Amino acid sequence: MSARENGDHPVALVTGGTRGIGAAIAQRLRDDGFTVATLARSGGDVQADVADPEQVEAAFQAVRERFGPVLVLVNNAGVRADGLAIRMAADDWTTVVDTNLTGAFHCTRRALDDMLSARWGRVVNVSSVVAERANPGQANYVAAKAGLLGFTRTVAREMARKGVTCNAVTPGVIDTDMTTDVADGLIGAVPAGRVGRPEEVAAAVAFLCSDEAAYVNGATLAVDGALGA
Amino acid sequence: MSQQIPTEQETLEAIREELAAIKVPDAASAEPSSTWSDLDVDSLDLVEIVKALEDRYDVQIADGRLKAIATVGDAQELVQELVREKAGAPA
Repeated sequence: MSARENGDHPVALVTGGTRGIGAAIAQRLRDDGFTVATLARSGGDVQADVADPEQVEAAFQAVRERFGPVLVLVNNAGVRADGLAIRMAADDWTTVVDTNLTGAFHCTRRALDDMLSARWGRVVNVSSVVAERANPGQANYVAAKAGLLGFTRTVAREMARKGVTCNAVTPGVIDTDMTTDVADGLIGAVPAGRVGRPEEVAAAVAFLCSDEAAYVNGATLAVDGALGA
Repeated sequence: MSQQIPTEQETLEAIREELAAIKVPDAASAEPSSTWSDLDVDSLDLVEIVKALEDRYDVQIADGRLKAIATVGDAQELVQELVREKAGAPA
């Protein structure tokens, strides 16, 4: 019996869940009957920098005490520090990779314990359309988002036998604070002819978190208006 | 009151119970000499068994010690050692 069929409201933790795509995901999962906790550096139900394993451990402990075991994890926290590789500061590389990729590892590692005990779990990693392409000026971001896809597939294979799935979504240009400076120039390149809405990414994540998606594992679901096609 | 050190037989029974809990077919006939591959226990199963033993005996098994646990007997010895350390009893 799955956690959902059991009539429970499993706890879903959304990192970076206070703004943009993360806030839309948190709202959608709440609407779908999950007990949602948001994790962010400030605001949110619990505060942590996902790049710091000790802060992540403390935040998970707080979520477990307040809400219960984490059976759904959406690794959405992400930052940008753009610049050409030839001039990129080491700190800008490290900050982006530590948050966008290593942060997802720290959170997933904590959540898998709970999921393994429950024999049910959903991990969704929010990657990006650029993960499977290239984006000059974002070597750090693209590397981290591409790394997330490999991480996703590997966790999927490791945990598949235990009722835990791990999938990724690759949003294209989505209308959030993070893309205000890039959206206008990119619209022409999007086959759909428009930017996406955070709610459209949230709908894809919600599907991957559902019982119906139990056999979808290690997949990458593009939500990009065909930009990556 | 300090925790009682489990006997070898008690830890063997505990491990058999945890093996049964994760649906290992030969759980009841596991012996100290049984290797995880004899029992068809993979690395993720072992993580589950270790976690269950940690909860049962209220001890922490460091990740670095997992590789050294190759048989049921290795797990028995480690659990007994950790409970003894925790109780402050001489080895």
